[in-house]
Amino acid sequence: MLQVYLPVAEISVNLLVMLGLGAAIGFLSGMFGVGGGFLLTPLLMFSGIPPAIAVATGANQIVASSVSGALAQWRRGNIDFRMGFVLSIGGVVGAFAGVLLVGLLSRLGHADVFISLVYVIFLGVIGSLMLAESLRAVWRTRAGKPATQKPGEHTWIHKLPFKMRFQRSRLYISAIPPLILGVIVGLLASVLGAGGGFIIVPAMIYLLRMPTHIVIGTSLFQIIFVTAVTTMLYATLNRSLDVVLALLLVIGGVIGGQFGVNAGQKLKGEQLRLMLAVIVLAVAIRLMIGLLVPPADLYSLAPMMVRP
Amino acid sequence: MRHVLTFLFASLLLSLGLTAAAEEQRPEVVQSDISMREISIQSNFTGVEIVLFGSIDFSKAPAPDEKPYDVIMVVRGPDRPLVIRRKERIAGLWMNGDSKTFSAVPDFYAVLASRPFRAIASEEMLKPLGIGFANLDYGKTVEGDNTDDEFRANLIRLQQEHRLFQESDDAIGFIGRSLFRGSVDLPVNVPIGRYTTQVFLFRDGKLLSQSQSSLQVHKVGLERVVYMLAYRYPLTYGLLAVLIAISAGLLAWTAFRRE
Repeated sequence: MLQVYLPVAEISVNLLVMLGLGAAIGFLSGMFGVGGGFLLTPLLMFSGIPPAIAVATGANQIVASSVSGALAQWRRGNIDFRMGFVLSIGGVVGAFAGVLLVGLLSRLGHADVFISLVYVIFLGVIGSLMLAESLRAVWRTRAGKPATQKPGEHTWIHKLPFKMRFQRSRLYISAIPPLILGVIVGLLASVLGAGGGFIIVPAMIYLLRMPTHIVIGTSLFQIIFVTAVTTMLYATLNRSLDVVLALLLVIGGVIGGQFGVNAGQKLKGEQLRLMLAVIVLAVAIRLMIGLLVPPADLYSLAPMMVRP
Repeated sequence: MRHVLTFLFASLLLSLGLTAAAEEQRPEVVQSDISMREISIQSNFTGVEIVLFGSIDFSKAPAPDEKPYDVIMVVRGPDRPLVIRRKERIAGLWMNGDSKTFSAVPDFYAVLASRPFRAIASEEMLKPLGIGFANLDYGKTVEGDNTDDEFRANLIRLQQEHRLFQESDDAIGFIGRSLFRGSVDLPVNVPIGRYTTQVFLFRDGKLLSQSQSSLQVHKVGLERVVYMLAYRYPLTYGLLAVLIAISAGLLAWTAFRRE
């Protein structure tokens, strides 16, 4: 019984449970090469952390995992800094809007439902897509064909103005799509307390047509900015960041991450994606049940949130 | 000389008798104190039991086992506004619907009594003294009050479930003719601030005397630093959180990199 009191969340949690949660998320993120925030925030919510605090603290934890991830990618030359900055500018704008939105909904008492609902939609859609794609890939490799996709051709995106040259991505495209993409990811990242890698990575590959090996590093690079700004905004505007909880999760995450990388190297890409798809769908279903099943207690208390 | 001594002796006897007689007539006065004036919350805080004790000066109890007195103690934390919300099913989803804001709900409120306090004194007597959940004001509600009672009842129920509201009918015990003590458990989630404790002495439904003291609940050590930073210097707090995360990321990368 190692109880730790969280000074901002104002609840007591078990030290080992939170370290374990951080380690589990670190393991998954190391194994699958994802940030893990989109799993961390729901799991924190399941373990009784108020959603507004889960989101802010989740964002803080992602800063740590994306820094180490981005450094590793940078050593391999896989970051397009120019693209990363354009995405980050949009991301910061989106994060601002998201934090204000969550603050407003918290005061109205609707933050819990809103965060859960956005999660159900995104995890449901992405989980289903991943499941379908990985099942096809597994089936295709069984049939003896390589599990790859054909590169795309030019789309309407290439006809927009304000063109910029992105050297590392070998792209000459308008700055508008990356900026808008940044805003959307920033908004989602701040509402969900996740890095938003599960949105931005497919968008960069399929919409911006960036080379796949540059996408991971660049998205990690911009996630550092977006989650750092989100953390700052939650701390100053909503006062919903719990640094003690974040520290526990970070420590657990660092340890779990190393084991995850090793485990991930032993599995095939399609198998990994299939497993991740199943986990993502399971979390979405669990959140969905929480929204549909009549609550055990209809009444809840909350301190009056005073605008700082 | 002898006369003088006799006079002194006689007057001494007289004065002793007089004081005893005066003591019989003087009204009872209750004195009280708390076992702890300060409660410090650290990261290992798991709740604490505080003891309130007191004595009845000029007690007229004829024998230790005959107890004509009743004692009620109230421990009360600072007031703050609280919102209570009720979930409703909207478009198939359970979400918060109606809500009420009570402007002054005590963060902590405990009533201890030597026997059920409703038997000690009448409601008219207890209400102005703020004894009992039902007799508390909770401030004005911000919105309308048509279903006020339901929200009020659930507010009390939830606070009781969180052990922040407590009523205990047999928590006060007498020791001899005039000493008494009662104990109250402050739970792990006890809010910080200045608490007041009131001790009321009753006899036959009449308030004879009351006494007040206070205690301070505050955070110390790391708890205090984090709390202060988070609420007083949120910018520094946020920056610190980001810096911790960045250095943890750097550390993880340097410690475990494979190249």
